[in-house]
Amino acid sequence: MAEFAVVGSSAPRLDGLEKATGRAVYVDDMTRPGLLHGAVLRSAYAHARIVAIDTAAALALPGVHCVLTGEDFPHRYGAFVQDEVALARDRVRYVGEPVAVLAAETPALARQAAALIAVDYEELPAVMTPEEALAPDAPLVHADFAGYARRVAVPLPPNVCAATTISEGDVDAAFAGCDVVVEGTYRTQAQVHCYLEPCGALAEADAAGKVTIWSSCQSVFRVQATVAEILGLPMARIRAVAAKVGGAFGGKSDVTVQPLAAALALRTRRPVRLVLTRDDDFMMMRTRHPATVWMKTGAMADGRLVARAARLTLDGGAYAEDSSAVLGFALLIARGPYRIEHVRMEGRVAYTNRLRAAGFRGYGNPQVTFAGECQIDEIAARLGRDPLDLRLQNAVRAGDDWVGGQRIEACGLVDCLERLRAALPPAAPGRGIGVACVAHISGILSTSAIVRVLEDGTVTLSTGAVDLGEGADTVLAQICAETLGLPLDRINYAVPDTDGSPYNWSTGGSRVTYMVGRAVTAAAGQARDRLFGHAAEMLECAAGDLELRPGGRVGIAGVPGPEITFRDISARAHWAVGGPIIGSASVMFEGGGFDPKRSAVTGNGIGKLGAFVFGAQAAEVEVDAVTGRIAVSRLWAAHDVGRAINPTAVAGQIAGGVAQGLGYALYEDLRFDGPNPANPTLMDYKVPGATEMPEIIPIIVEHPEPSGPFGAKGIGEPPLVPVAPAIANAVAALHGVRLRTLPLTPERVLAALDEA
Amino acid sequence: MTAVAYHRPACLDDALALLAADEDARPLAGGQTLVPMLNLDLLAPTAIVSLADLADLRGIAALADGSIRIGAMETHARIAASRIFAAGQALVPRAAGHIASPAIRNFGTIGGACAHGDPVSDWPVALVAADARIEIAGPAGRRGVAAADFFLGFLTTALEPGEIVTAIVVPPVPGRAIHLRYSRIDSDYATVIVAGAADIRDGICRSVRLAVGACGPVPVRLAAVEDLLTGRPLEPALVAAAGRMLAEAIDPLDDVRGSAAYRRRILPGLVARALAGVA
Repeated sequence: MAEFAVVGSSAPRLDGLEKATGRAVYVDDMTRPGLLHGAVLRSAYAHARIVAIDTAAALALPGVHCVLTGEDFPHRYGAFVQDEVALARDRVRYVGEPVAVLAAETPALARQAAALIAVDYEELPAVMTPEEALAPDAPLVHADFAGYARRVAVPLPPNVCAATTISEGDVDAAFAGCDVVVEGTYRTQAQVHCYLEPCGALAEADAAGKVTIWSSCQSVFRVQATVAEILGLPMARIRAVAAKVGGAFGGKSDVTVQPLAAALALRTRRPVRLVLTRDDDFMMMRTRHPATVWMKTGAMADGRLVARAARLTLDGGAYAEDSSAVLGFALLIARGPYRIEHVRMEGRVAYTNRLRAAGFRGYGNPQVTFAGECQIDEIAARLGRDPLDLRLQNAVRAGDDWVGGQRIEACGLVDCLERLRAALPPAAPGRGIGVACVAHISGILSTSAIVRVLEDGTVTLSTGAVDLGEGADTVLAQICAETLGLPLDRINYAVPDTDGSPYNWSTGGSRVTYMVGRAVTAAAGQARDRLFGHAAEMLECAAGDLELRPGGRVGIAGVPGPEITFRDISARAHWAVGGPIIGSASVMFEGGGFDPKRSAVTGNGIGKLGAFVFGAQAAEVEVDAVTGRIAVSRLWAAHDVGRAINPTAVAGQIAGGVAQGLGYALYEDLRFDGPNPANPTLMDYKVPGATEMPEIIPIIVEHPEPSGPFGAKGIGEPPLVPVAPAIANAVAALHGVRLRTLPLTPERVLAALDEA
Repeated sequence: MTAVAYHRPACLDDALALLAADEDARPLAGGQTLVPMLNLDLLAPTAIVSLADLADLRGIAALADGSIRIGAMETHARIAASRIFAAGQALVPRAAGHIASPAIRNFGTIGGACAHGDPVSDWPVALVAADARIEIAGPAGRRGVAAADFFLGFLTTALEPGEIVTAIVVPPVPGRAIHLRYSRIDSDYATVIVAGAADIRDGICRSVRLAVGACGPVPVRLAAVEDLLTGRPLEPALVAAAGRMLAEAIDPLDDVRGSAAYRRRILPGLVARALAGVA
């Protein structure tokens, strides 16, 4: 690619060497002089009143410094509903909920002391499913719900923490005029984030009472803001720093153990490290929202899709967290990437006495896309059409509007489908091929970047974007390097630190390349302009006549001779004229939203989301007739990323998303046995291993997004989303059976084959 | 915190003496079960007695009668890689090669796995199918127990307090080895295992042994099934009847790896596949 020097090249990861050699420092590797170790006591009940907590025996153990309970955390918090507390107070609402936390001299002592805390519970009736929660006279998960502050203050039925409707056109009339209507109920399960690194934080307070928190997180700024809210401190007294993060997938987008570690550090005046065991992480943390999706889609005999309706019930678990936004986004995206004029999407999120459901790679999209993409194939079957053809006929194009009215600026969906068709092999006996599409967004809220030219002409790039392992650091450095005409090794990517980094909302929403990349482009562009300002004076020419030359040099366009280096310019700025060269930029995603003239919306929990991204995948499967087990042999994944800043990193995100999507499709399911998780260990909860992976064929499609950095947009979430429906569609193509419940276990497949 | 003593005796007698002296001491073989149980606070031994230096517990060697003696401290990976097993005995290295994942196979030992006695694990069914003998040493001396009499139930074996497994002896097994392991994903515990061997020539089954694992507290092996199949042409109806007999005999649980009904549903098909694989 001659167009760019650094953008478009598969530069090695900035942190590749330290990770490959085992020297990368994660929270659990960190220590401080005088370090104490935290441990958490979990609730043994799904729903109970806390009558009393006796911490005397734990505190009496030599080496135990401090025990905290819910009484020590008086402030409620929550992005949409202020229903959360850092430790259970008065009530526990799920098995595994943190009830007490302590700090001791060693991890083993801390665990031993936690076991000595005596909690007197009065057990209460629990609701373990949305059906139970929404039944008349069901026990209330939050008896005080009416008193909680809420961001979306619409009236809600008991045990419902969010309810939203979005409609456009006249769905009922449209269905009445359809030649083909398909309808069905689809069920999806609780998938666990299963990041390699469990949640952890190390906190230390200084003499003035300012607390520094190193943690495994998706945003140091969310940590800073939420810890400040929970502890009732000004944000200026909280410093959050990113450690290396061993995966997050949405599970670390809100605080995890940071408030507990910070409170222990403030109380003991000693540094405290609290890293969850895998066992604790499974029991305390989060899952994807289990969903029941009723959906109906209608088409004309010529294949035109005209109407879709859906009713979605999500299991939100014990606390609302992001449920309002997950629901809103699921409903927004449920139409699918097709020109369907009439839609009515309704949904609600039920509280249950299970661990909370949270944002998880896809954010409500995998649930509705499983239903929606299955129904496209069901319609194709009824019409006798090729499913890929039917998708091409109805696919959205650039210039179309999404539900709500947002314009789709760039759209490679048709290209993805065409490239997929060209790549697929001819039909073979015993093998089924299924296709599914995905639409997602890339954007959300605000971010910023600072580019500082150092005295020697090298550059420090600061953003608030935490790299979760996907390689965003490298991509942002590439964008900076390209903008300044520097080789990548002249860019220092600063560790996100609320004391020094500019604000970033979060690493989530497939947004870092697109949003932070825009800020980096603008900040680096400003630094370049300031370099040119100096160079114009030094070369005695107009700034507009200058050009960047490779390697950090500036010359006069069209004049091969005189040029000066960044080092010369920056030395002048630092020591003689004008002061250090710094570029900075702030950006906000301001498009999108709902146009009230076209959409009727109630209870909406989402704002202006981002640029649309598209993809299409095909799965080739075989089904074992004896066991019903599905084996995916090949998976083609075509994704429009606008522009691949780093093609290897894009392919990596595709492979990772497909792996996690395969787990969602076939294996992963946190089940419950009464009030207790039935399989909360990696021994019983299985993510796919290397031998389960299909051959993945990534197909990178580039339709540049006008607002994106060098045309780029996100790829973090989309590759997970179409895997499950593509596999279900492949099984349907092979055997004519329609599976509507995830995961597609051998047992379910065999039962369907037995019925057919 | 209570201190845990760690011993690394150089000979078997010293190891047995240490275990006899303290009933809360635990022997450490490959650590693939003991260490996770310690991490989960499921065990709180007063002492750990490492078996790492016991030469008696090492080696995979052929005996004069064609039996293979496998030292208890041999890892699954070394057994899987061994070429010493002849004919139907090969079901033993096949079973070893399917256990868990490479990291576990490189540490876990056959003796440790047998002593643990987990019925969903891979060794009980393989060793019952192979008519293996478990050799044991303890305070009362040495003895041998047939595999079928060794595995008694969930985490329950014929080992008495203070006893350890020293070796597994696999007799000659006629025919071709059968080892069909079905699991959700490759590195998971099995949902169903069919292990055995069969000598099938010209469609006639001359001899057969079939055991089913991971489907109840102990491996299931039925003489009636082996009698039914032996000496007859392996017609599909006959094989299906054998599979049904085994499906009725197993006693599986409903768990995350599959319901009891599912295990019974797929077993006849797996038996047919296993036999077809050696026909």
